[in-house]
Amino acid sequence: MKMEEKPLSGPDNTRLEALMQDIYSELVEDACLGLCFEVHRAVKQGYFFLDETDQDSIKEFEIVDQPGVDIFGQVFNQWKNKECECPNCKRLIAASRFAPHLEKCLGMGRNSSRIANRRLASNNNISKSESDQEDNDDLNDNDWSYGAEKKCEDQKLQNQNSPRRSKSLKHKNGNFCLSQQYNYNAGISYESLAPNEVRSLLTTQCGVISEHTKKMCTRSHRCPQHTDDQRRAIRLFLLGPSVPTLPDVDGDGFDVPDSQAVLSRLQWEDSPDISPADSASSKASGNHSDSRRPKKKKKPAVAAVALSMSGGGGGVNLMGVSGAVSQSTISLSTKKKKPKAAAAAAPSVSSIFNELN
Amino acid sequence: MSKEYQMRAAINQKLIEMGERERLKELLRAKLVECGWKDQLKAHCKDVIREKGLEHVTVEDLVTEVTPKGRALVPDSVKKELLQRIRAFLVQHAAV
Repeated sequence: MKMEEKPLSGPDNTRLEALMQDIYSELVEDACLGLCFEVHRAVKQGYFFLDETDQDSIKEFEIVDQPGVDIFGQVFNQWKNKECECPNCKRLIAASRFAPHLEKCLGMGRNSSRIANRRLASNNNISKSESDQEDNDDLNDNDWSYGAEKKCEDQKLQNQNSPRRSKSLKHKNGNFCLSQQYNYNAGISYESLAPNEVRSLLTTQCGVISEHTKKMCTRSHRCPQHTDDQRRAIRLFLLGPSVPTLPDVDGDGFDVPDSQAVLSRLQWEDSPDISPADSASSKASGNHSDSRRPKKKKKPAVAAVALSMSGGGGGVNLMGVSGAVSQSTISLSTKKKKPKAAAAAAPSVSSIFNELN
Repeated sequence: MSKEYQMRAAINQKLIEMGERERLKELLRAKLVECGWKDQLKAHCKDVIREKGLEHVTVEDLVTEVTPKGRALVPDSVKKELLQRIRAFLVQHAAV
């Protein structure tokens, strides 16, 4: 159909407006009619008044609109100040803290078993190690001495992972515990362990030897205090210049070095430029994350590791990918927050690992 | 004028053919439910029905009682938005 050429804009705006209004009122009338039909049908079918059959329950569940109260009429944090008696230890615990307290009190749940295992491990170490008393201000690492650990154990009533914990420790001990959010562990002195124990320990634990306490870090392989390079260096140092997973270890696997220089070299030395071969071999040895920090202080000695590891690496040809991976980890770790960088790098890198393997 | 009439008929047809009328209808229905217009009008219906008696209500009764009130109860924002959309359609598709 041919459209009329009459313009709708300009001085004829009124026509446009009138047309608009007409269309609009048609639409509204349609809506009203629709409602009427709906209501009429409901009336005739008998379900129109169904929601009004029980006046009592209507009054009971009426919507409440008062301040300080929700629409059901309940007060918001009514149970916040209440105290519950623990059936186990018979103490009065605040309601919001009741569930975590029960978890620890009854010894069930995820955290409590972890804590118990740690306590057992540290108790074993205390009985083994000789040098227990340390300077109290020498606590920059997580590798503890016995004295500081005992003081902090009394604080274990609080949540282990809350930042509050470290703050209270600061005040009560007067020690310079860094504002860390993790548990404190006792370290293990590698001098007192047999090679087999060392090896088994190193497969489960971080193992990096702290310069302050000369003890191995008992945290996991992903502990944010130490880098993978440090871990590799320690394994090389303790187990000899071969792949740590092999049972036969030749050479100086277990000689205790008498020079501090060796230890410091392992931990604090500046490293040369790291070639792709290093990262390829590091993958082969099975470490989880390859986070490196550009700080000059803490780069471990990778060259020796590379030379030794490439022999046992098996010629894994991952250079291109490893280069990209190492770059991404560097970019992640350029910020100064160490634990988060390692933690962030680890999942991304490990996912790439999984794809490759 | 028949030209005017023809024009209106043509525009209406275009509205329907392009599906715009359905869209506008749905939009209006949704907005009215959202703003509570439907519940208000339903409450008014209940009053009318109670007044007239449940058994003898007819559609015409309801329509004559409800439609004027319904037209008046439409909130301004809904009305404005709908007019805007209609205008946009007309400007775009009718002869400008």
